[in-house]
Amino acid sequence: MKSSTTLIKCLAFSISLLLIANITKAQKATVDSALIDRISALEQQVADQKPGESHFMVVGLATFGFVRSKTIFTPVGGGSQMDKKNSLADADHYEVSPMLLWRHGSNFLIEFEPSFNGTSIGVNWGNISYFAAPGLIIHAGYFVLPFGMYNKRMAAGWIDKLATDPKGIQLSGSDFGIGVSGGVPLGNMKLNYDLSLTNGMQLLSDGELQAAGVTDNNTGKTVTGRLGLLPFSNSSLEIGLSALSGDVGDAGSKFNTAHSTMYSADLSFVKNFNPFLINIKGQYNWVNVNQQTYSKLTDSTAYSFDNKSKASFAQISVRPVSVDNPILKNLELAYRYSSYNTPNNSIWGQNFHENDIGLDYWLSWRTVLKCTYARAHSLSTANVSAGGTGGVTDTNNLYLQFSIQF
Amino acid sequence: MITKNIKNRTWLLIAVFSCIAVSIMNSCAETQKVASKSGAQLWAENCQRCHNTPSPSAFSHEQWVTIGMHMQTRAMITNKERDKIVAFLSQ
Repeated sequence: MKSSTTLIKCLAFSISLLLIANITKAQKATVDSALIDRISALEQQVADQKPGESHFMVVGLATFGFVRSKTIFTPVGGGSQMDKKNSLADADHYEVSPMLLWRHGSNFLIEFEPSFNGTSIGVNWGNISYFAAPGLIIHAGYFVLPFGMYNKRMAAGWIDKLATDPKGIQLSGSDFGIGVSGGVPLGNMKLNYDLSLTNGMQLLSDGELQAAGVTDNNTGKTVTGRLGLLPFSNSSLEIGLSALSGDVGDAGSKFNTAHSTMYSADLSFVKNFNPFLINIKGQYNWVNVNQQTYSKLTDSTAYSFDNKSKASFAQISVRPVSVDNPILKNLELAYRYSSYNTPNNSIWGQNFHENDIGLDYWLSWRTVLKCTYARAHSLSTANVSAGGTGGVTDTNNLYLQFSIQF
Repeated sequence: MITKNIKNRTWLLIAVFSCIAVSIMNSCAETQKVASKSGAQLWAENCQRCHNTPSPSAFSHEQWVTIGMHMQTRAMITNKERDKIVAFLSQ
């Protein structure tokens, strides 16, 4: 009897074990199945989100401001005229420029930046670059000419420390063409080069050069190049030399032989001197057009002048980036002196000087509020008998500007 | 005659520039001091040459790769510098 009870207990225990094992197996099968389904779903999700080779993104910038301006013009012989204005979104300093960057793999990049400046929509650049090899980028399309430093690196509102651009420095502008560029190491130093072949600028009837919106006006092409050297291993100093050479006269016009040569020297020095970040920039442009004969506006008779211009700026900004005070560390003080001299005896001749001082507050690394005071003095050296305007112009401007990069 | 001189001058300019560029590219090599720089160090040194140093959180990895290429066309940083800076910003 006792042995039967023991047998029954053993059987019951065995059946229980079997039942538990079956239940566990069933549960495991259910878990495995759910896990496999989940993994399959995740694999599909990853496959759906495969980045592919083409990547498109939109960045860009917006600049909006207010200017309070007072201009006093004193013509030859006296009798000053004053002009005052308060303007929001002043056309010279307002800009919305979305920038489209379209990358295909790691070798091709399309850059396109349309821009609205308050009066019109234009294109700052639209070009394709092929990253052919380390230190060699081949680009083609409509791009900023490699002349000096300002146009290509400093002109954006959220980069420029002051509300205005230095006048006369941006002449070379953008143009259609092809080019090669790159940066290469050189021991402890670095060197960069940028060379382009483009349609070129246009000589206007008064002797001025026009860079923007020019259709190809002759068979000659313009060569522009810049060499930059960074002599220190920390990249704090860069010295650049640029040159431009090209025909500028309309084919078949009286300016058939017109040719322009331009040179530029630029410098950038950016270094931390605890707690300050010191930023120094400068550029000097020389612009020459060979001897041509122009027509007076007054009676259309011929006259000539030495068509040489100079433009320059020197700028320093200081920001106490390493102090603890959160307000103080976001303040930046900037000063710039700029000048340009256009040809004496032309109808647009003048000696222009401007001092700009500004205080910026950085809301983030790419968002800034600027307050800039600009005082300019211009003495006309124009040929009055040819239709130019003589006199002195003094301008005082106060700018409040907001600029952001997306 | 003037036109001929102008054209000669243009070709001379191209030739001189090309010779300098090619000779420099052929002789280029970075020192150990430069080669050992981290992405963070290069980010701090190179970005602030033109603008404030960007926040790594501002863009995704793929976007940083695109921006790195765009910056290379502007600031003319070397390929190694670009790759290290992008790797640092993508972390």
